[in-house]
Amino acid sequence: MTADSHALTTTDEHNPIAGLAHDQRGGLSNVILGMILFITSEVMFFAGLFAAYFSTRAANRPWPPEEFDHILNPFSIILVATAILIASSVTCQMAIWSIRKNDRRGFLRNIGVTFVLGVIFLILQAYDYSILFEEGMTMGSGPFGTTYFTLTGFHGAHVFGGVIMLGVVLYRGMSGQFSARHHDAVEAASLYWHFVDVVWILLFSILYFL
Amino acid sequence: MATHALAPGTQTYSRGTLYEWLTTTDHKKIGIMYVINSFLFFLIGGVLALVVRTELATPGLQLLTDEHLYNEMFTMHATVMIFLFVIPILAGLGNYAVPLQIGAPDMAFPRINALSLWMLPLGGILLLSSFVTGGAAAAGWTSYPPLSAEGPLNSPGAGQDLWIVSIVLIGTSSILGAINFLVTIFKMRAPGMTLFRMPIMVWTVLVTSVLVLMATPVITSALVMLFIDRNYGGHFFDPAAGGSAVLYQNIFWFYSHPAVYVMVLPAMGVISEVLPVFSRKPLFGYKAFVFATAGIGALGFSVWAHHMFTTGAVFLPFFSLLTFMIAVPTGVKMFNWVFTMFRGQLTFSTPLIFAIGFLTMFLIGGINGAFSASVPVDFALHDTYWVVAHLHYVLFGGSVFGVFAGIYYWFPKMSGRMLDEGLGKLQFVLMFVGFNLTFFPMHMLGVQGMPRRIADYAGDAGWNDWNLAATIGGFMIAASMLPFIWNVFVSLRNGKVAGDDPWEANTLEWATSSPPPPYNFDHLPEIRSERPLFDARHGRVGH
Amino acid sequence: MSSTPRKRPAPDALVAGAVVAILIALVAAVFLTGWGSTLYPPDAATSQGREVRGLYDIVFAFAVAIFVVVEGLIVWSVLRYRRKPTDEELPVQTHGNNLVEIIWTVIPTGIVLFLFVISWQTLNTVDAVSAQPDIRVHAIAGQFAWQFEYLDENGNKVATQLAPVYDTDTSLGGMAVPVGRSIQVTLDSPDVIHAFYVPRFLFKRDVVPGQTNRFEFTIDEDEVGQVFRGQCAELCGTGHRAMLFNVIALSPADYDAWLRALIEANNATPAPLPSGPVLNVAAKNISYDQATLSVPADAAFGITFDNQDPPGVLHDIDIRDGSGRVVADQQTIDGGTKTNYAYDPLAAGSYTFFCSIHANMTGTLTAE
Repeated sequence: MTADSHALTTTDEHNPIAGLAHDQRGGLSNVILGMILFITSEVMFFAGLFAAYFSTRAANRPWPPEEFDHILNPFSIILVATAILIASSVTCQMAIWSIRKNDRRGFLRNIGVTFVLGVIFLILQAYDYSILFEEGMTMGSGPFGTTYFTLTGFHGAHVFGGVIMLGVVLYRGMSGQFSARHHDAVEAASLYWHFVDVVWILLFSILYFL
Repeated sequence: MATHALAPGTQTYSRGTLYEWLTTTDHKKIGIMYVINSFLFFLIGGVLALVVRTELATPGLQLLTDEHLYNEMFTMHATVMIFLFVIPILAGLGNYAVPLQIGAPDMAFPRINALSLWMLPLGGILLLSSFVTGGAAAAGWTSYPPLSAEGPLNSPGAGQDLWIVSIVLIGTSSILGAINFLVTIFKMRAPGMTLFRMPIMVWTVLVTSVLVLMATPVITSALVMLFIDRNYGGHFFDPAAGGSAVLYQNIFWFYSHPAVYVMVLPAMGVISEVLPVFSRKPLFGYKAFVFATAGIGALGFSVWAHHMFTTGAVFLPFFSLLTFMIAVPTGVKMFNWVFTMFRGQLTFSTPLIFAIGFLTMFLIGGINGAFSASVPVDFALHDTYWVVAHLHYVLFGGSVFGVFAGIYYWFPKMSGRMLDEGLGKLQFVLMFVGFNLTFFPMHMLGVQGMPRRIADYAGDAGWNDWNLAATIGGFMIAASMLPFIWNVFVSLRNGKVAGDDPWEANTLEWATSSPPPPYNFDHLPEIRSERPLFDARHGRVGH
Repeated sequence: MSSTPRKRPAPDALVAGAVVAILIALVAAVFLTGWGSTLYPPDAATSQGREVRGLYDIVFAFAVAIFVVVEGLIVWSVLRYRRKPTDEELPVQTHGNNLVEIIWTVIPTGIVLFLFVISWQTLNTVDAVSAQPDIRVHAIAGQFAWQFEYLDENGNKVATQLAPVYDTDTSLGGMAVPVGRSIQVTLDSPDVIHAFYVPRFLFKRDVVPGQTNRFEFTIDEDEVGQVFRGQCAELCGTGHRAMLFNVIALSPADYDAWLRALIEANNATPAPLPSGPVLNVAAKNISYDQATLSVPADAAFGITFDNQDPPGVLHDIDIRDGSGRVVADQQTIDGGTKTNYAYDPLAAGSYTFFCSIHANMTGTLTAE
């Protein structure tokens, strides 16, 4: 800044141009606020799908249809998948705590585990789908099949997106790009991962228990 | 985009090469490209409208003997105008103005900003490509299933799928843009720029972004479900298999009513910049205006089913009451604008004239909308040309006049040159007269019972004269674009040099050069009110 | 720093005032000369429609009043407060005024609440359906034709009207109902969303697949003999604008006779086929099973037509010649039914046979 830029520094607050990289007024960084807003929009997307689910369910009795009643057993592979996804949220948070303490090795280990757990979840979901297909339940199996596969499918797609995000974070972490002071991308990715986890818990409870 | 010397002193930054424009992450260049891209789609949408109006000029099928083609025309007209013109051109003006008005160097995420921009022409090309790949979508821009589902009489072929994909793409662009605006506004304001010192334009973009963020994902979900129904054997909206046709309408309008405010709030923001500057007075009731904007945004989420009064599947009193109530904050704004001019000193430059055009047209668009809030009256008017009149008075008489007010207002800042006043006024007169000649008669057609979306009508129904008048008006609107385009081309070369602040304006974008440097500001004046430049010019300290 | 407003030259105020006065006079003149009547719906033919019309008139009065007040304010401000070359000093910098802001929030709120309440009251009358209406009609809207089933008090079908449009030459077709009786219409669609709309009823109701909508109306006694235009008001595809129908207001006695005639026509045995060649044609999935037919020239012939589409989907087989003139116009039949069509002799040549409901259903018929 040149000497005559007094107008920019008339207050004690920060220089607005420098604010592009780091906000010094406190509060959330741009990246984290952006991610929170993005998650808000994702919540609304799933709200639309859930609204359709409940509306469809209310208009179709019995639910699930008798032919598929036995398929929706929560105490099956799907429970394992649920446990794995919840565990991955925990390891993800441990990665955050590690990097906040500047423990880069702990961070890499935890984020690596999270990444692997995410992949395992996807594999288990694919396996579960194959069982359902064998039983004859598909997207076209009435409103039940349509809503089931749409909801779980879009959740799966979001897990896939989250796994890619974790992969990028892992790669960048391995090349040493994060520190206790600079890890907004990690915080953002973890927020997203927690969101995906919460959606699954909701989905699982509603589809299998409600 | 040729670079050439401009007048001394004012212009020190090159306009850039084509390559720089195509790869830029500068919000100003991106904003200008938003505007140009949207304007091109405006011309395409306009041609589609002229085809529709030509067909309807007289009874009988003349131009489009295949009625399916007629359905394609009005479907694509609405889709292009809404998703590729009104929404993005306002986003473009916001993109240009918001960082400047809050004293920021750029948007928070410049590369995502560029991504948002380039998704638009991509979506537009996808959408229009359906014309050459077996026919465009023809189920109306609302695309209600089962008409938009697969089936020989419904929507066979790829056109409807391309429509869905392109709307999802454009919607994603909007969502990313909204996130960008919100982070920019919340995190990157200059020192002293408190929330209640932000220009109204920034406030309207803020509320609009919240609406986009909350509503657009919901239509994405509806379109995704429609896509699944069409292509993967789903049954969401298939009544024959346990789905619900009205479900789609609920989800669709949960987005599309807030989207109406997405399409008009930023235009209100433009008007709220223009009126004070050309009246030499502050906006009357700044805070009330902000609260009214937020109120419209909040109420906007609870009135969606007023588009569905005749479905027989809506709790009528609730949606009727809220729809009536949303007229109140809108009315508050109208009075604020009028009282901004009241006892002012008005200079009738083109931006002000378009702003006054906005006021008079939007007034009618607000009043004729109240008719449909009254459920029994809506039973008579729903899906007639009355609704076509109403929506055009809001979206054309309101938004488009606001857009042109904004273009005339900010063109000097964007280019460093003034637009020609005479050509601007010629455009206004043609557009204003043409607009009213087109859309006012549609009220009469509507009350006399002419339904929307019909390719032909009986010659003895008494609708001939008004239809002919509307068609003539439509061509007048088209003619009004000629002086505008000519004006832009001539003024870019030979227009009067603008200088930093040609309008004696109030807000920060006029505190830097025209066009501004890539980093926007060398100096910022002190910000002690919502009119920092006014304070600086008149040596005042806040109020 | 702020200056008091200087006294402005009188002409400004005079001009502005005059223009506002002219504006008000214009609006008044438009209504006094009857030009404004084009902004009102047509006279209502039903008691429910009259309620809607009464409500419309009230809303309209408010609309005009609000328009004149606000537009007058705009015009006044624009004309009165133009900047003069001598205006160097700023006008008074008014930032707002809580009192007027409260006033213009409260008054509109009062107006819209009033409009809401009277709308709600009217809605309760317009939307009311009784358990025991005088007449029950089940209207089925399929792409792209209406049919009207007449039901008895138990909801059992007694007759079906497959010709929705009134033909002035034959006096056949249309949905006939008696005046002064409550008519309950139930609406169903086998395919997409349609809407039952009669402009002179000031009413429409969507026909939604998978959902039965219901409404009632009573036609005024003095509308006897009227034929009302009706039309589908919800985009339903290529044939949307051709989905017309008529409602015919008859005296109760005429209506009874009309219904008896319809029942008789429904029960009449189909006319025997002419003693010529007989073709078999079927329709399924909105298309004929044959693209070409050939018949001997100058000889009567018949077609046994099997409509295999679901109920609600109407088809027929009409014939037009090379110039587009329709030379044979048959009655449509409902999905799931069969009929025999008899055709007059055709001169040798090439013709098009087509469905009058579905523009995509055509084929070539050769007479040789």
